[in-house]
Amino acid sequence: MSGKLLEPTPEATEEPEHWCSPFRAFDDVRVLYVDLSTGYGREQRAVSWLDDTERHRRDRFVYGRPRHRFTLCRAALRSVLCHQLDCHNQHLAFEASKHGKPYALVRGRPAPINFNVSHSGRHGLIALAPGGRVGVDVEERVPHRNLYELIEAVFGPNEKHELAAANNRDRLHLFFRLWTMKEALSKAHGMGLSLDVSRFEIPHDMRHGATSGCVRFTGMPGAWRLEDTSADRFAAALAYEQVRP
Amino acid sequence: MSSTEERIRALVDANLQIEGRAAGSPLTPDLNIVDAGVSSTDVVAFWRLVCEEFGVDIPAEEFAELLTPSDLIAYLDARSG
Repeated sequence: MSGKLLEPTPEATEEPEHWCSPFRAFDDVRVLYVDLSTGYGREQRAVSWLDDTERHRRDRFVYGRPRHRFTLCRAALRSVLCHQLDCHNQHLAFEASKHGKPYALVRGRPAPINFNVSHSGRHGLIALAPGGRVGVDVEERVPHRNLYELIEAVFGPNEKHELAAANNRDRLHLFFRLWTMKEALSKAHGMGLSLDVSRFEIPHDMRHGATSGCVRFTGMPGAWRLEDTSADRFAAALAYEQVRP
Repeated sequence: MSSTEERIRALVDANLQIEGRAAGSPLTPDLNIVDAGVSSTDVVAFWRLVCEEFGVDIPAEEFAELLTPSDLIAYLDARSG
């Protein structure tokens, strides 16, 4: 991982911004790493940052670990956005687009920043873009019991062929590289699970090891920058809209 | 023949990791599986398994609106009716 970890501070008093560390930066897009492998004290601190809507959503999580991850990531996001937008936490709110992509409001007005959040296991990522849309995805590389159903569901013909040709270990790594890139693009576009990602393929060079590329969707205007930001402990990708000056 | 709910429960038991939920226990009708901590990879795999089990083709954009057991069961019952 390229971002440096900040010095730890007592969990009960530290601000959520201190749970993040710089991870990657591309153009004016930044990605922050959120350490989710932490204890109860930090979650209690995080809850105090949430508004009533978020606490209600938090209460809907039946199980502890997903609730913990949501709580820490949302508090960290709030803290980072408050710093970025120079606003107070109580003036910050979130709404969601038709397909569920959240956006920020400050005093009821859309904030001039795009963001996206992803978490998997002990790892969280927050992407911030001052201009166009942005999407990020992180996945721990754990063996998946339905790997073949997933490959059939989300990949195109060339991708399936290359996954079939890989040995077991390489297949899992390639699967998560391609998956996170597709998820990042889908999230950046704002469609989330609604976008049938089998309808497009990751560019050839990126399927074969390049860590950066450009993607255009057939029939849609604009171009998307795609970055493979994987680290030793997880696969991750960032997609952001290329905005013309 | 098993009910739609029983078939969905069997698919959930066999394929989704919902921390704290015992296999075979009743599904919570209005619990969104994303809020139950199911990962995006598991959601997509589950979508394909539901399509195979019920012999239907559910578009991705429709499945994204069917993430609670009650919504999914109602949709499948309507398709089979």
